[in-house]
Amino acid sequence: MQGLLEKAFIEPFHRLAEHLTHVLPALITILLILIVGGAVAYLARRVIHRLLVALRFDRLVARTGLASTIERARVFRSPSDFGARLVQGLLWLFIILFALNAADTQMTQDLVVRFIHYVPDIITAVLVLLLGSLISKFLARSVLLAAVNAQWSGARLLAGGVRVLVMMLAVVIALEQLRIGRTALLVSFAILFGGVVIAGAIAFGLGARDLAREWLQSKMKPRSPENEEVFRHL
Amino acid sequence: MDNFLPDDLLTRLKEIGDVEIVVGIPSYNNARTIGQVVRAASAGLAKYFPQRKSLVVNSDGGSKDGTREVVLGAELDPDSLLLISHPVHPIQRISTPYHGVPGKGSAFRTIFAVAGQLNAKACVVVDSDLRSIAPHWVELLAGPVLDRQFDYIAPYYLRHKYDGTITNGIIYPITRALFGKRVRQPIGGDFGFSGRLAARYLEKDVWGTDVARFGIDIWMTLTAIAEGFRVGQSYLGAKLHDVKDPGADLTSMFRQVVGSIFGLMESYEAVWQGVEGSEPVPMFGFPFDVGVEPMTVNVERMTKAFCQGVNDLREVYQSFLSQETLEGLKTCTGQAGEEFRISDELWVHLIYECAAAYHHKKLDREHLLQSLVPLYLGRTASFVIQVRESNAREVEERIEQLCQVFETEKSYLAERWGLGAGKEKIHARTA
Repeated sequence: MQGLLEKAFIEPFHRLAEHLTHVLPALITILLILIVGGAVAYLARRVIHRLLVALRFDRLVARTGLASTIERARVFRSPSDFGARLVQGLLWLFIILFALNAADTQMTQDLVVRFIHYVPDIITAVLVLLLGSLISKFLARSVLLAAVNAQWSGARLLAGGVRVLVMMLAVVIALEQLRIGRTALLVSFAILFGGVVIAGAIAFGLGARDLAREWLQSKMKPRSPENEEVFRHL
Repeated sequence: MDNFLPDDLLTRLKEIGDVEIVVGIPSYNNARTIGQVVRAASAGLAKYFPQRKSLVVNSDGGSKDGTREVVLGAELDPDSLLLISHPVHPIQRISTPYHGVPGKGSAFRTIFAVAGQLNAKACVVVDSDLRSIAPHWVELLAGPVLDRQFDYIAPYYLRHKYDGTITNGIIYPITRALFGKRVRQPIGGDFGFSGRLAARYLEKDVWGTDVARFGIDIWMTLTAIAEGFRVGQSYLGAKLHDVKDPGADLTSMFRQVVGSIFGLMESYEAVWQGVEGSEPVPMFGFPFDVGVEPMTVNVERMTKAFCQGVNDLREVYQSFLSQETLEGLKTCTGQAGEEFRISDELWVHLIYECAAAYHHKKLDREHLLQSLVPLYLGRTASFVIQVRESNAREVEERIEQLCQVFETEKSYLAERWGLGAGKEKIHARTA
């Protein structure tokens, strides 16, 4: 009976206690890293927010046109808040990696190494998305202004289409960089893009046949002076 | 300063030697009208300045319609030479292609350099698309420079009440309110200026900007005024010309001209912030009534463009216009037909807010200027509706009213331009 009790309960308990003596210091270290790191990340966020406000970061971002995108997302209070939280997020990422590394097991070490190798791809993808957002906004506004000044009735639709298309391209490039669903993504994009172009061409050719003819005629034929508005602005 | 002139032109200029008057004619595909312009300029030089050695320069932007051949082949009618007088020195003629950014400003740069190379005392530039040019224009533009030591002579024309709406609605009122000189046609296109001023123009590094295109006229005028050169204007009668550069659309013209004036506001900020009110500039010539060409204006198309702009571009406008101005514009879209109005106050605030936004780079500058076009069309429609039944004098009075508002609201610009500090500065000065 004594032997059974020892085998069933005491020995496993000893093994657990022994195991815990190995693991507990690592767990405590991880916990400590997370607590201290979290506090540092929080403080860093506050300091960086103040710094960005002092440097008038919001005004700078407003000029690029990204401020409205950030505000529309309704997650961040301002571009400075976004910047500060981004830094906090990045710090958290490194704190977690540091903590995992402190666990000192094969699995966590592999995870950390794989993640570190993946970091350049993540940074590239984020940059591609940021650049895509800036370019799409700029191009959409250029198209909108040109279309409004040409008095096209679907100016906003056209500009929106340009923005979506450029952003889609940026997302595809970013995901390609992250090696997420490469083939499926490329095929989907090609089908979608080709479909949009064909649909647009058919819609314009069939639905707006007369408009297409008039437009082409106006481009090919020289305008007769009597049709011109005799009006000088300068 | 003249190193951009081609070698063959420099050789030709050395052969000619010093001259007193240079008449410059920029051109691009103006074969239809340039012959008449060259003949009028030559006749003017022969009649009014027979004792002075002179040169007619055509600075061409690569015309394909034989413009240069027309210039070199244009002969004065021997009968008209008898009616005027035989020049002591034969009037030389040069037609040269210009180099640099394609545009009127680059053509002018070549003319300035030629004038500098030949030590010209006076220089006259006239548009090559003019149909109403007469020999006395040369006398009216060069005379005050040669005989009265003026540095810059702007034209003063009689124009149809709907003609020159960018001039009447923006350029003239801003020039006057900012720099205090009532130069009625600051972007007229035909000017007289001294060799000294031509040399000053050449010193500036602006030839890669919009100044090299349609911005040249306002740049010349404002540089002359802001840098304290003696400025006058000459009454030339009616201005009749072909449609200006058929290849250029309104948006480009508008962007280049208004962008140039906003840019100049930055360059000469210290000058205009110290100016209050305005004064007339000396006028030469004898004012007489002439008939002007009738014009057709499609008001409905313009109001439609305005309404579309206000609706479709609201997010763009929100980035640089005040809430009050935005609401004012929105109210205007609700006015139909003959009731459509954009008040002087709203228009002045709008222009001043745009100038300040341009200065503070609140938006990409090209986009900002392009977004102004529908609003300008709205203001033009409003002006046309208001003056439809008015005669020339009443129209001038109407423009005068607008100028007064531009002048009285200058503190609004200062406030927007330099925020609080500007306001304090202006108030302190007026106190």
